[in-house]
Amino acid sequence: MTVDEMVGKPEWRSILESLPVIKRFFEGDPDSHGINALMRGMSIYLEKLVDNLERENPAVWYNLGFNSELIYALDGGAAALPIEALGVMHNLLGDIKISMDFIDTAQAEGVPSDCCSADKLAIGTLHRGLYPKPACTVGINTPCDSQVMATQVMAEMSDAPFFVVDVPYYHNDETVRQVAAQLEELIPFLEENTGRRIDFDRLREVCELSNKMTENIWEWLEWRKNTPLAQSSKLVAFTLILQILFAGTQEGVDITEGLKREALERTERGERFFEERVRAVWYQDPVWTDMQMYDWFEHELGLTVPIDVFGYYANEGLIDTSTRETMIYGLARKIANCHPMARQFRSNIDVYIRDFMHMLESWNADCCIFAGHIACKHAWGGIGLFKEACRRADVPLLVFEFDMFDPRITSYDDVYFEVDRFVNEIVYPRKLRAGKAG
Amino acid sequence: MVDDVINEVNAKIRSYTNEHVTEWKNSGRPVIGYFCHYMPAELILAAGALPLRLRGAGSEDSSAGDAFMSGRVCTYVRHVMSLAVEGDYDFLDGEICLNTCDHVRRAADLFVKKTNIPFHGFISLPRNPRESLYGNLLKELRNLRVALQDHFGVEITDDRLREAIIALNRNRRLLTEINNMRKEDKPKLSGAESLSVHIASQVLPPDVFAGIAERLIKELKDRPGLDSPRGRLVMLGAELDEPDYVAVIESQGALVVADLLCFGQRSVLDPIDENTDDPLDAIGRAYFFRPSCARMIGDFPARWDNLNRIVSDARADGVIFTRLLFCDPWGAEQHNLLHRAKKGNTFPVLTLTKEYGIVPTGQLRTRVQAFLEKIEIARAKRDAVGGAV
Repeated sequence: MTVDEMVGKPEWRSILESLPVIKRFFEGDPDSHGINALMRGMSIYLEKLVDNLERENPAVWYNLGFNSELIYALDGGAAALPIEALGVMHNLLGDIKISMDFIDTAQAEGVPSDCCSADKLAIGTLHRGLYPKPACTVGINTPCDSQVMATQVMAEMSDAPFFVVDVPYYHNDETVRQVAAQLEELIPFLEENTGRRIDFDRLREVCELSNKMTENIWEWLEWRKNTPLAQSSKLVAFTLILQILFAGTQEGVDITEGLKREALERTERGERFFEERVRAVWYQDPVWTDMQMYDWFEHELGLTVPIDVFGYYANEGLIDTSTRETMIYGLARKIANCHPMARQFRSNIDVYIRDFMHMLESWNADCCIFAGHIACKHAWGGIGLFKEACRRADVPLLVFEFDMFDPRITSYDDVYFEVDRFVNEIVYPRKLRAGKAG
Repeated sequence: MVDDVINEVNAKIRSYTNEHVTEWKNSGRPVIGYFCHYMPAELILAAGALPLRLRGAGSEDSSAGDAFMSGRVCTYVRHVMSLAVEGDYDFLDGEICLNTCDHVRRAADLFVKKTNIPFHGFISLPRNPRESLYGNLLKELRNLRVALQDHFGVEITDDRLREAIIALNRNRRLLTEINNMRKEDKPKLSGAESLSVHIASQVLPPDVFAGIAERLIKELKDRPGLDSPRGRLVMLGAELDEPDYVAVIESQGALVVADLLCFGQRSVLDPIDENTDDPLDAIGRAYFFRPSCARMIGDFPARWDNLNRIVSDARADGVIFTRLLFCDPWGAEQHNLLHRAKKGNTFPVLTLTKEYGIVPTGQLRTRVQAFLEKIEIARAKRDAVGGAV
């Protein structure tokens, strides 16, 4: 498939044509540094992707538990392609009907309907031949069994060499060391299959950019602790996408600068167009199919989401760039202990509950909204213990089922109804009773 | 009579426990439960404990498990955990979970927090069976060995490990002999009978099972072979410990002549070296590099080759793939299996999604009938042209 053939396909054309329009639309609000930076970053990612393919640089496919630094450190350039990318872009920027078509394609090709729609998006894309053939693929077992599925199918469909990164169960230093040892194996694999070298001076530059992005994220999230929340709720979930797609790039730094600057300026100005009545930790999955839903929550219910599980980025330190070994160790720690979802989902339920309690307290939230993506079995499997933990901590909890990438499972109306009732009948009256409202 | 032995076996596997477990306990020896066939049973046996494969057999509903795990977790795990949180598994002196899948990981949490079982072990099993990751598993096994020793006050010496290897190898050889009888032109036992026997091998004390298996083999030699007028099938899938389910499939005139089920033939390893200097390493290698299940990433090509070999050896006409609802690893396997079968035009495949503890007789019969008709039509076409379709 040539680059022209690829970008000529309607599934790509629709994104490439709609992105500039959306970008211009948001540029109408000069204060929206975050979303504007995101749009610019996405444009640059797509331009670089096309440029890499035009130059016949190798493509590397990977799945959403992996971070992009090592691919960006390959000299001479390589296209970093998370297999979920196109499907997710259609949810956010393009045509949701195309996303649903990807899901349907995956199911028609044998993926069971009860499996995760994030994987079905990816698998549908692979079946439609929408990505350039990779030089090699990297599959990681985090954050959950769904990713195990995605990687198995990626390996089968790519017809390219496949490297597996296995993140062990435990949340300790030994786990990080074991992942680091595998990244040491991955480097020659990438070099051999892409024909590119990882130059360690270049890796240092990439790690420094990655660190800068991480520092920006931490600072940005600090500003979101302010009450009332001054920045849009919907932006917080993007940390995950940043780490998958932009870790180690200038675009990642620029996007997070924009997010941070916007949060800072809006907080300092203290302006909001609605009254914040309730703050929630959105635990589990964002409503990617309609991020405008968060605007509705804010304006109609006075509900803000200062933090969610996709947005929270644990502070376990930066990548130490002093030696090759320290850099590899730092990258491994990011993947195992910091990457949203991978941190909370791969181990025992204690990590999951502990992080929630930390978010609740640090971001000064009133309640928890457990938005249960139907295919997140690790989360549903722990729901009883999570409910008990919330009950012990006296935290109001809303639990509902939906699909984060497929609006046909639970209607928007049903989600609105559940959240509306929870805020207006439970959480806000409770705050009033406690004298904490208004 | 073969039927007498099979009836005896079926009585022993009807429930999640059996009288031999009780006898074992009554003799003052511990019992340790485990979910996954990647758990090296030798390690438990060498600690003086009885390894008992966890099952939901006899569980009438999963509501206690559902309360903690929701309805989005597979029914096998929910039934087991329902029994566990209700206290039915409190007779266990320990349980050992692996990070087999998301469902079992959450079961491990519940075992620790919601049961009275005194010992909890865990093994982080790497997801890819390559040499460079094997060392990580070996460390886990060493840690577990120490934890078992400390808790149960026994020394798990190399000699005890070798004794455990010998005890389980004996049963492996017996099961292999039984499985070979299934491959004959007129198989000596049905797939349902075979599954019962394999389940028994994982819930009975090894010597008790060996006695039963030896009697069965003797009886089978005198049994006339069974007819399979409509076809010979291989069954593939994960946790299926319900012989009735296989019996319904076979009731339509086919025989399951081989399987790759977690409770079935896939649970049978090749014999492990009994004279090795480092028995723990030999055990670890045997389990880690065994024919893998779908939770192992990057090993599908090997699984595909293994399946083809088994289909060919058993001269099977088709493959029935079963998957428990909500299982992601086997969801990927279903996709890849169908993809390869279609691309290579290899063998017919029927995919079935099931719930644990329920045999949907009418629906299952209809699906299997249609599948067998498809096989028969293909066979008739092949015969008509005198070659491969």
